[in-house]
Amino acid sequence: MKFASCDGCQLQLLDLEDELLAVCQQFEIIEFAEAQSSRSEGPFDVLFVEGSVSAPEHLPRIVELRQQAKFLVTIGACATSGGIQALRNWGDHEAFRAAVYAQPEFVASLATSTPIADHVAVDAELRGCPIDPRQLVELLTALTTGRRPQLRDEAVCMECKRGGNTCVMVTRHTPCLGQVTQAGCGAICPRFGRGCYGCFGPREQANVKSLAEFLQTRARMSTADIGRLFAGFSANAEPFRGLVSQYGGAPPKAPAPAAEAAVGAGGGR
Amino acid sequence: MLTPPAGAMGGAWFLPRAELQTLLDLLQADGRKVIGPTVVDGAIVCEEIRRVDELPRGIGDEQAPGKYRLTRRQDERVFSHVVGPTSWKRYTYPPRVPTSTARHADGAVVSFRPVTPEIPKLAFVGVRACELAALAIQDRVFLGGPYIETDFQQRRRAALVIAVQCTTSASTCFCTSMGTGPEIKAGAGHDLALTELDDGFVLEAGTPAGAELLAKLPVSAANLDHSVAAVQAVAANRTRIGQPLQTAGLRDRLLAQLEHPRWAEVANRCLSCGNCTLACPTCFCTSVERVTDLAGSEAVNERVWDSCFSPGFAKVAGGDFRSQPKHRYRQWLTHKFASWWDQFGSSGCTGCGRCITFCPVGIDVREELKAIAPAQPRPDVPKFEPIADDRQAYATARIVARHAETHDTTTLQLAGLDAAHTDGGPGQFVMVALPNHPAAAISVSRYLKPDGLLLTIRAAGPATKAIVELPVGATVGIRGPVGIGWPHEPAYGKDVVVVTGGTGLAPLRPLLDRFIAERAKFGAIRLFYGARTAADMLFTEELERWDRDGVFDITCRWLARHQAGTGGGAGRSTVSAIHHASWDGANAVAYVCGPERMMEATTIALAGRGVTRDRVYVTLERHMECGLGFCGHCQMGRFFICRDGPVFRLSDLGDVFGREGV
Repeated sequence: MKFASCDGCQLQLLDLEDELLAVCQQFEIIEFAEAQSSRSEGPFDVLFVEGSVSAPEHLPRIVELRQQAKFLVTIGACATSGGIQALRNWGDHEAFRAAVYAQPEFVASLATSTPIADHVAVDAELRGCPIDPRQLVELLTALTTGRRPQLRDEAVCMECKRGGNTCVMVTRHTPCLGQVTQAGCGAICPRFGRGCYGCFGPREQANVKSLAEFLQTRARMSTADIGRLFAGFSANAEPFRGLVSQYGGAPPKAPAPAAEAAVGAGGGR
Repeated sequence: MLTPPAGAMGGAWFLPRAELQTLLDLLQADGRKVIGPTVVDGAIVCEEIRRVDELPRGIGDEQAPGKYRLTRRQDERVFSHVVGPTSWKRYTYPPRVPTSTARHADGAVVSFRPVTPEIPKLAFVGVRACELAALAIQDRVFLGGPYIETDFQQRRRAALVIAVQCTTSASTCFCTSMGTGPEIKAGAGHDLALTELDDGFVLEAGTPAGAELLAKLPVSAANLDHSVAAVQAVAANRTRIGQPLQTAGLRDRLLAQLEHPRWAEVANRCLSCGNCTLACPTCFCTSVERVTDLAGSEAVNERVWDSCFSPGFAKVAGGDFRSQPKHRYRQWLTHKFASWWDQFGSSGCTGCGRCITFCPVGIDVREELKAIAPAQPRPDVPKFEPIADDRQAYATARIVARHAETHDTTTLQLAGLDAAHTDGGPGQFVMVALPNHPAAAISVSRYLKPDGLLLTIRAAGPATKAIVELPVGATVGIRGPVGIGWPHEPAYGKDVVVVTGGTGLAPLRPLLDRFIAERAKFGAIRLFYGARTAADMLFTEELERWDRDGVFDITCRWLARHQAGTGGGAGRSTVSAIHHASWDGANAVAYVCGPERMMEATTIALAGRGVTRDRVYVTLERHMECGLGFCGHCQMGRFFICRDGPVFRLSDLGDVFGREGV
């Protein structure tokens, strides 16, 4: 089931070409909007939920779905942290609505984008934007075999070093969030010479304070740049959220006045 | 051309640079994959190479806590770098190795089968001394029993080890402290060791396998120049690295500090990301992951690198034994540097510095160890670049003037020297020689640029007597100036106290010259000078002139005989003058020259004025023959007085100052 999201995580299931038949043998798929036209309202043994709670109608909907699901798994950065759209949590919701929509009164949206777990109990989560197909298979396997899923509670650095990548932060001065980000992606960004931007969200006990201080004092980054580093797909997840609030880095509170003539009174700042 | 007989291990052999490919070819012809240093993604890593042009020719590296950069070198050398992000652990104990398969054969019946991965035949090229030490540590961990890690054992056996002597180092290197390098010693576990010179490589076999390989190479017996250059390059590197960490008693010191507040403090900086442990060549923690098919009927178990820094590493069903990052940091550091001894009979650290360089926030274990488990206050061993001009050759200088200072002390004015001889600093000394006498170490009492020196010499024995009796026009042999002299920079912006007696004023005069030349840079300058009698004073005209012109704030002259009536040692009266003075030395730097007893008493008096030991410089006297730290005569504790002194900061001398019989 999907809430505010791009459907990319659902597509990761479709991309499991080698395992898809085995998945279909183990599970009866009764609801999968991206893959089949038949719909179901439950009950579900396992329900994957994609997307964040972003509109007023999402609130009763997620409660209802929770009641229909024995085991509820949130998938992707939107469902687990609020997603990139949670950047609006720092902005003036009304000003943006007025700037974007000609008649905002016809659009129902909440002032914040929040993860599913803020509203109902969640049994498991798969992080990432999008989720990692191997982790998805691992979770499905764990569900069929009844074991605890091996979703390692470690930094991206661990996967990065095992993979033999050279640390982009140490050798190239590239800011990287791998140390404070939950592993699971296989360190794909550093593998291609990029810094991790934290789409898998903060790991347990992520020491963002020390990393930010290092980037500020030793790498000479500005506070706003450091804030922007954390203000990505997982900006709304603590402790990234606290850091974005402290350092700045969220987009402007309201749209720039010149950008849109129809900006209402609230957007004129 | 002399070629080594197959199997003979001794001797040093020379391989011309152009023939390095032959070595790689031989290894590959032997069915080995060659793993060696090569540049990938801005770092020198160890990966498969086939040709010498894949080696990092002319590329060096620069490392600091949390920082690694490649540099362009002026030469064409291929091994002039230090350890990079890869350790050989990647090949002896790979990050992910399948260990067994497990399956549900038939319903509730299960079966397990060990997986025996194919072990590649490798040749490690470019293994450093610290990395040989790491391999030896791995051997103790995995092969020391009671159980043997068979996968490691096979991989280790299948790898030929070609070591490289380190002739360069990074700021993060501390093999010298851990006793693992930089020299590759016989029996370190290498099959072949090579030292890179500009025109080629000096090779030495370490095992019969290495000797066999050596016999197939187009080598010639290394000549003396090659052998000496090879040894020299590594020795100089040891000096450059210095002694960054005091490791004596470290295990006990560290284990006594399990509740030190620094653990929590470092945990505030530590990201618990585990980079240090995976970069470490000896960290061996792993977990087992199961890769199961969806039906759960078949699983492959894989051993995967893990880290004691990851949350949950010490977790059990009831909770986490090391739930806080400070616990994890303490576990890692105390294991590596302390409890490893109890488990495996050595430290787990080789001093390679990878954990320092590859800590994303630049935590330096050496600094943490110093803070948590400080050694007895000991100064850093003096660190200097080896000087190619070894100053062992005498130049001759002509005596152009002589001036009797006292009944037994004469100042000789020398001329005709090179600029190198007159470019010394205050407190440095020269070795003065006549053909039939042992050379005497004499402090320079004034530099007379461009070609002259003043030496003020007391006729204390036959050699110095012969020198002071030389007439104008005679020549003497001069080496130097050498040694570490009086530093004047620490006194910039501060008050100065100079205390000396008798001929002790001579080595201080160039320092006084400098104070006068840069008078505005110093605060109050107080000179205390004592002698037995007025006739024992040096430079009396100059002293009177300084007095008259008010060059210094106080110029105190004390005559011991007049004061005490019955003699007494020189210096006692200057000491009491300092004792009874009212000035505040809290902002002062002191320079003291005299017999050790006098300096001891003086430093106590100075402490009473608030001049702490770290702001007191003293000069020590010992028998000197060479002046270069080779002859051994002037050793005092861990110091060579000639090379590391003769001037020392008092706090650096620790408990050897004033101690009898050292």
